[in-house]
Amino acid sequence: MEPEAGTTETRSNGTTSDGDEAVALESLQFTDEIHRLISAPSTDNASSFTALLELPAPQAVELLHSPESATLIAAPAPNVEDIKDSFHFPSNTGLIERAARFSVFAGDSINNNNKTGSPETTSNNSSANPQKEVKSEPAETESSQPLVSDPTVEKRSMKRKDREKKVKGSTKKSKTAANESSEDAEKLPYVHVRARRGQATDSHSLAERARREKINARMKLLQELVPGCNKISGTALVLDEIINHVQSLQRQVEFLSMRLAAVNPRIDFNLDSIFTAESGSLMDGNFPSMVMPLMWPEVQVNGNRQQYQQQWHFDAIQQPIWGREEMCNNYITPENSLLSYDSSTNSATLHSNQVKMEL
Amino acid sequence: MRSPGSLKQEFLKKWIMGLQRCSSSKNSMSVLDRKKAIKLSADIAMASARKGTTCWSRALIASASKGASDKHLVEQILGPESERLILMKKFSTGALVCSKRIRSKKILKRSCGIRRTRKCAPQAALASSIAKRLVRKRTQVLKRLIPGGEFMNEVSLIEETLDYIISLRAQVDVMRSLASASELMNHN
Repeated sequence: MEPEAGTTETRSNGTTSDGDEAVALESLQFTDEIHRLISAPSTDNASSFTALLELPAPQAVELLHSPESATLIAAPAPNVEDIKDSFHFPSNTGLIERAARFSVFAGDSINNNNKTGSPETTSNNSSANPQKEVKSEPAETESSQPLVSDPTVEKRSMKRKDREKKVKGSTKKSKTAANESSEDAEKLPYVHVRARRGQATDSHSLAERARREKINARMKLLQELVPGCNKISGTALVLDEIINHVQSLQRQVEFLSMRLAAVNPRIDFNLDSIFTAESGSLMDGNFPSMVMPLMWPEVQVNGNRQQYQQQWHFDAIQQPIWGREEMCNNYITPENSLLSYDSSTNSATLHSNQVKMEL
Repeated sequence: MRSPGSLKQEFLKKWIMGLQRCSSSKNSMSVLDRKKAIKLSADIAMASARKGTTCWSRALIASASKGASDKHLVEQILGPESERLILMKKFSTGALVCSKRIRSKKILKRSCGIRRTRKCAPQAALASSIAKRLVRKRTQVLKRLIPGGEFMNEVSLIEETLDYIISLRAQVDVMRSLASASELMNHN
């Protein structure tokens, strides 16, 4: 097969230009696979962050990266899609690292998406390194698809990995030999992680980079969660905002508990009594009034915890009284009416509005 | 996917349970005592809603369980005692391991830092070192804020912060609505 022939060839000659051409050919052939990958459906970019929290780390990183990379790379979809799709593969730590690194390179490579041109130019120009890396990354990405089922190639790829260590980062100069080896390595269906020049051991530095990428991804999540953090750039300032937010939330909890303590002489918050008080003041509406008489007998019982368990079901029926602002014709699950009330709008304002309506 | 509504619901249930237990035991409490009990029940309820999946919830429950009087409250809110024991065990072992890890990391850092040399230009090094110092200070503050935060590494710290913020928000929402409802009830 072509890939294997290419690898053996490049193994023997480290620095020939044949390797360049072979690589160019390889990259051309890979376009089909790339398109196949592109058609693969990507998971939904859940906008809720609790959803992201539920996902295992790799998938969460994927969701984080796909919008990132989409914004970073204006040019051809293949690169972006490859990033997205790469995460669909069985979660391979090497894959994750690579893909994580890719997001770093993606920012540098906005202008350099020409795959065929890169092999020739990268060998000479340090600034073309991002090109090469972008090109080889997608090729690697999609070539890693058959990866898992190809253990025979692993041995060769291990050697490739060692050679790849010599590949420089985008900011340093590159040697032809190193370029060649890294380019040729992409043909192998194996995950390659490149280490930057000047870093002692590969495992440490790679792990560090993966870790940093993870941290950045989580920080982005946090930024979106905390209001007003989106426009801030810089980790320290974002952390400032997060700290302020957490502190304010904690202070609110303290304040509210003080308020609750002041409200009641005994900490005995009878939800039933609250409901009766409220429902007593809300006299209009046919449905609520129909429901209310049914509720009165239950409402009398209070304080007993076992009774509480049953109360929850009746509270659901009482819901319409609370959810009147939003028309209660919807199928409300047996939720606590107090909660559905809160979660819909600002509860305090609604409360006062409701009461004012009655008076 | 966890819905915020179900989180609030669970929190409210457990919180009311805890409050009831508090009120049944003591008859007359000062405002501050009441406030403490309310806050405690709220915190434990919020932590138990996570069922020990997050580090901060375990830390919160463990710290609450240390006091003898609060232990019963914790037990009750959490339900079966085995769950509580499991959570305690998890946290205690985790804390031990984490503290050891932290200590060893510190020793490593001190030994490696002596040998570390700066390669970049002095300006860049200065800027980056200042930024790093700032970030480190902030993470330390954050670690103090999040319950059980001292034992986490950076990645988990951020994850815990995320979860903690969400839980705090739900807690604040429920408490605020209950407070306003009770106040309105009292006024009427």
